Amino acid sequence: MATALSNAALRAALYRMLLMRRAEEEVIDLATNHENEIRGHYHVYIGQESSGLGACLALGPDDYVWTTHRNHGHVIARGGEPGPVIAEVIGRTNGYNKGRGGTFHVIAKHLGILQTSGIVGGCVPMAVGAAFSIKTRKTDQVSLVFFGDGVLEEGAFHEAINMASLWKLPVIFMCENNSVPPEGREQGQYPSSSLAATQLIDVPNAMNIESHIVDGSDIRAVAPLLSDLVVRARNGEGPFFVESRLTRWPGNMGAFPELIGGPYQIGWVWDPSTADAALQSWLTDSDPIALFARALVEEGVMSKAEVEADDAKASAEAADAKAFALSGPIPEPESAMDYIFA
Amino acid sequence: MSQERFIDSLRDGISEEMRADPRVIIFGEDVAVGGAFGVTGGLADEFGDKRVINTPISEDTIMGMAVGASIAGKRPIVEIMFMDFMTLAMSQLVNHAAKLHFMSGGQLDVPMVVRVQQGAQGGWGSQHSQSLEAWFAHVPGLKVVAPGNAADAKLMIRAAIQDDSPVIFIEHRGLYFKTDPDDLPVNDIKGFHEARVVRQGSDVTIVSYSRMVADALVAAEMLGAKGISAEVIDLRSLVPIDMPTLIDSVQKTSRLLIAHEAVMQGGLGAEIAAQVQREAFDYLDAPIERVGAPFVPVPASLALEKEFVPDPAKIVAAVKRMFGRD
Amino acid sequence: MDTNSDEGKIELLRRMTLIRAFEERVIELYHKGEFAGLVHVGIGQEAVGVAVAASLNADDYLYGTHRSHGHFLARGADPDKMMAELAGRATGYCKGLGGSMHLVAAEINAMGATGIVAGTLPLALGTALACQDEDKIVAVYFGDGASNTGGFHESLNIAALWKLPVVLVCENNGYAEFTPMSEHTVVEHVSAHCGPYEIPSHIVDGNDVFAVLEALEDAVQRARSGGGPTMVECLTYRLRGHYVGDPAEYRQAQEVKEWQEKDPLLKLSTTLQERGLLTVADVSQIMKEAENRIQQAVTFALDSPYLDATAMLDEVFS
Repeated sequence: MATALSNAALRAALYRMLLMRRAEEEVIDLATNHENEIRGHYHVYIGQESSGLGACLALGPDDYVWTTHRNHGHVIARGGEPGPVIAEVIGRTNGYNKGRGGTFHVIAKHLGILQTSGIVGGCVPMAVGAAFSIKTRKTDQVSLVFFGDGVLEEGAFHEAINMASLWKLPVIFMCENNSVPPEGREQGQYPSSSLAATQLIDVPNAMNIESHIVDGSDIRAVAPLLSDLVVRARNGEGPFFVESRLTRWPGNMGAFPELIGGPYQIGWVWDPSTADAALQSWLTDSDPIALFARALVEEGVMSKAEVEADDAKASAEAADAKAFALSGPIPEPESAMDYIFA
Repeated sequence: MSQERFIDSLRDGISEEMRADPRVIIFGEDVAVGGAFGVTGGLADEFGDKRVINTPISEDTIMGMAVGASIAGKRPIVEIMFMDFMTLAMSQLVNHAAKLHFMSGGQLDVPMVVRVQQGAQGGWGSQHSQSLEAWFAHVPGLKVVAPGNAADAKLMIRAAIQDDSPVIFIEHRGLYFKTDPDDLPVNDIKGFHEARVVRQGSDVTIVSYSRMVADALVAAEMLGAKGISAEVIDLRSLVPIDMPTLIDSVQKTSRLLIAHEAVMQGGLGAEIAAQVQREAFDYLDAPIERVGAPFVPVPASLALEKEFVPDPAKIVAAVKRMFGRD
Repeated sequence: MDTNSDEGKIELLRRMTLIRAFEERVIELYHKGEFAGLVHVGIGQEAVGVAVAASLNADDYLYGTHRSHGHFLARGADPDKMMAELAGRATGYCKGLGGSMHLVAAEINAMGATGIVAGTLPLALGTALACQDEDKIVAVYFGDGASNTGGFHESLNIAALWKLPVVLVCENNGYAEFTPMSEHTVVEHVSAHCGPYEIPSHIVDGNDVFAVLEALEDAVQRARSGGGPTMVECLTYRLRGHYVGDPAEYRQAQEVKEWQEKDPLLKLSTTLQERGLLTVADVSQIMKEAENRIQQAVTFALDSPYLDATAMLDEVFS
C-alpha cells in the first residue's frame, strides 16, 4: 500500500486542483466573452479534479496517459502548463499542438500524453497498443487511459480489454463515471439507460480483469489506490480497471458548460449557502475541491487563509495562462499544409 | 412556400412520412431528445419510444440493426451524429446494407436511410468535420444524396424514406439553421435524383452540392460583375448523378468547374470531371477545374479552418483561370 | 417438428445426414474445380443446426455465419437451390451472386449468412426489434471467434437492454479460424460475457442434439414471452479445416480423433438404435437417400446456366 501523501504534497495537490479549475474557467470565459476564440463545442473538467490528479500523481515521468474530449484537466494534472493548454484550445501556435488539435486533442508528448480523442472510446485501443509496446520493449512503463462510462457501450472497448487481459498488458483502464449521485460513489449499483450491466465493473471482471470502484471525488481515496495498481502493473500484474465515481458538476448538465452564479468563489467551500441554489448540495457533498479543502483545514494541514491565498495564486496563474494564449500568434495560412506526413 | 429553416423542413418531411407509414422508425444516439442538432426534436412525443429509439453509443451495431430491421419489414432512419463516426459503422453499411439486395439475388430489400451531417465549421477539428461522401459514392449498392436547401431537404428525405434501396442522406450542419433565398427556383419540383439548374448562364457551368451551392451562387454574382455569365447547377444526388443535365449545360457553356467542400484529391469532382471530359470532350474550351479542400486533415484552429474550407473567392479564382486571367 | 415423437427423432437424423452428404459432396466438387471461392463446411457441427431448426416456427427468423450451409439445410432449404448457389448458377437462391458465405433463403426466413465475423448479430437484433409485436423470434449463430469483436459486445448489451426476442446460438468449436480459444481470449466459455448483462445462458454438448434441444426450449420460450435474449453455447468441433482446402496443421491429430469419436451423427444414430427406433439397415437407408437427394442437387446445379452478365447490373438497387 502506498504511503499517505505528506502535508506538502497535500497542499500541492490542492493547488493543482485549484489551478485545473481556474484554467477551465478561463476556457469558459474565452468561449463566452471573446468573440470567435472558441466557436465550437468544448468540454471542461470542472468537478472532477480529484480523479484525474489522483491518478496522475501515481504515475512516473515515462508513463503514458491517454484521454478524451475532456482532456484539459488531465493534461494539467499530468504537469502540463495551463498556458499552452489554453493556447491550444484557441488554436494558437504557442499551444501544445501548435494550434492544430484544438480542444479535443491537446497532446503533450513530453508528458506522455500521446493522444486524446473526440471519438468515444477512441484512445482505448491505442492505450492497449502502447502497453503492448511497453511489454515487448521490456520497460516498466504503464499505460493509463481515461475515459467515461459511455465507452463501455462501444465495441472497441471490449476488443481492447480482451487483448489487454489475454496478453497481461500494463494498462490501467480509468473509467470516470460522472453520472453517480453522492450516496452512490462508494457502493451501490448504477444502472444506465444505455448499458444493460448494472455494475460497470462486471464487464471487465468477466474478462478476468481485476477491477475497483473508488470515490473519484476523494483524492485521498484515488491516489493510494492508483499508486498501488501502478506498482503492480509495473510488475506485470496488470491490466486493471478502476471505476472512479463522480457526481457531475451542475454547470456540466447542459450542452455547453455554464458557470452558474459566476466563477467559483472559495468562500463557497466554507459556506455553500452563499452560492446559487443549483450549486449548494453539490458544493456540500460532491465538489472535490470543497471536500478536500475542508478536510485539510479540519485536520490542521492548512488554514483557511492559506487555502484562499493558494486560490488567489491559482487564479492569477490561470489568468496569466489566458493572456499567454491570447498573445499567441494565429497560425499562418502558408503553414496549413505542414505536418501532414512525417 | 413558407420560409422554413432547413432543419424544420427536414423534420417536417420525416414527420409526414412517419405519419403516412407506420413502418418508419428512427434509431440513433439521443434521437429521442432531438438528436445532437435538434433534427428529431418532438418526434418522440408524437410517435413514441417504439418508433423514435435512443441507442447506446454503438455505431457498428446501430447500423447493423437498421439493416436487420429493414429486411424484416421496417423502414428505418439511422442517424449517425457526425460523418466522421460513420467510420465505426462501415462494415455493416458497406458489407451488408449495400450488398444484401445484390448478394441475395434480389430476395431482400434494404429500405433504410442513413442520415448523417458533415461539414467543417466552428473549429471542431479533424474528427468532427470531415466530408466523406466520396467513400460512399464508391460503393455499389448505396445511393447518396445531399440536399442544398430547405425545400429539397423535405422533398428528398421523403423520397429517400420511400426508396427501397439504402440511401445515405447527407446534411450539412452549416445549412441547418438557414432559410432558402427568395429567388431559389424550388417550385420546379425535381425527381429524387435529378439535378437542378439554379442559375442560368452561358459562359461557364459551376456544379456543386450541399452547402456550397450557396457559395457557387455568390461566386456567380461576383463573376457576373466581371462579365462572366455563370450557370450554377445543384447536383442534389451524388449516386446516381444526373449526367444528362450536366452534359446539356456544358454543351451550352463549354466550361466546367466542380466545387465541393470535401478534399479535392479523390473527391467526387474527379469522377464528374472524368465522365464529362469523356462524354463532352469536343465541347470543352478549357480544362475542367475543381475547387475543394486541400489534402490536409481539418485543422482545429479557426484561422486555419478558414483556409481549409473552399469559399466563393476560390470559385471565382478558379473560373478566372479557365479564362486565362489572373 | 415434434422431436418428442419417434418420427421426429428420426427426422433429426435424416436432416443431419442430408447436411453431411451435402457438405461431403461440396468438398469433392470444390477439389474437382466445379466450385470456386471460399467455402466453409460444417462437418461435425450438424447437431446444432438441426436442433435450432427444430425449435423454431416457420415464421421465425434465422441468421447464419460464413459456415451456414447446414444451418439453412436444417431449416428446410432446397438442396437444389443451395448447391446451385454454391456453383454460382442462376438457379441458386441468390442467382449465384451470393455464394457460400452470403446465402439468403428468404422463403424459409433464413435471412443471411455473412463473411464478416459476428456480422449477423446486429442484423438479428434489428429484425428482432422489427418483429417484436408479432410473436416472432430470431435465432442468430456465431462462433467463439466472434466473441472478441466489438459488435458482439454491443449486441449483447442492446439485446439485454431492450429485451429483444433473440436466441443467441454460439457454436463454440474451439477455434477462431486457425487460433485456439485459449490464445484468443481469457474466458473459458463465451457465455462468461453474458454475466454483466444478466443474459441467461446454457453451456451444452453441441454434438448431443437432445441436449441442444433442451437448452433451446428454454431460450425460445424466454424470447417468445418477452423475456429477452438467451445464449445457448454449444461445445462442438469442426471435423474439417476452417475452409475447404485448409490442411488444418494447427490442430493435433489426437484431438481430431477424439472428436471424431463424438461425431454427432454417430451419437444420434447410436442412440436411436439403442432405443430400438432404427436398425443398422435403416441408418444405411437414410444415408443412401441423403446421398441420392444430394446427387440430384449436384446434377441440377451443374446443369444450370449462369446469370447473364448484364442481368447482374440490374441487381444492384431495388
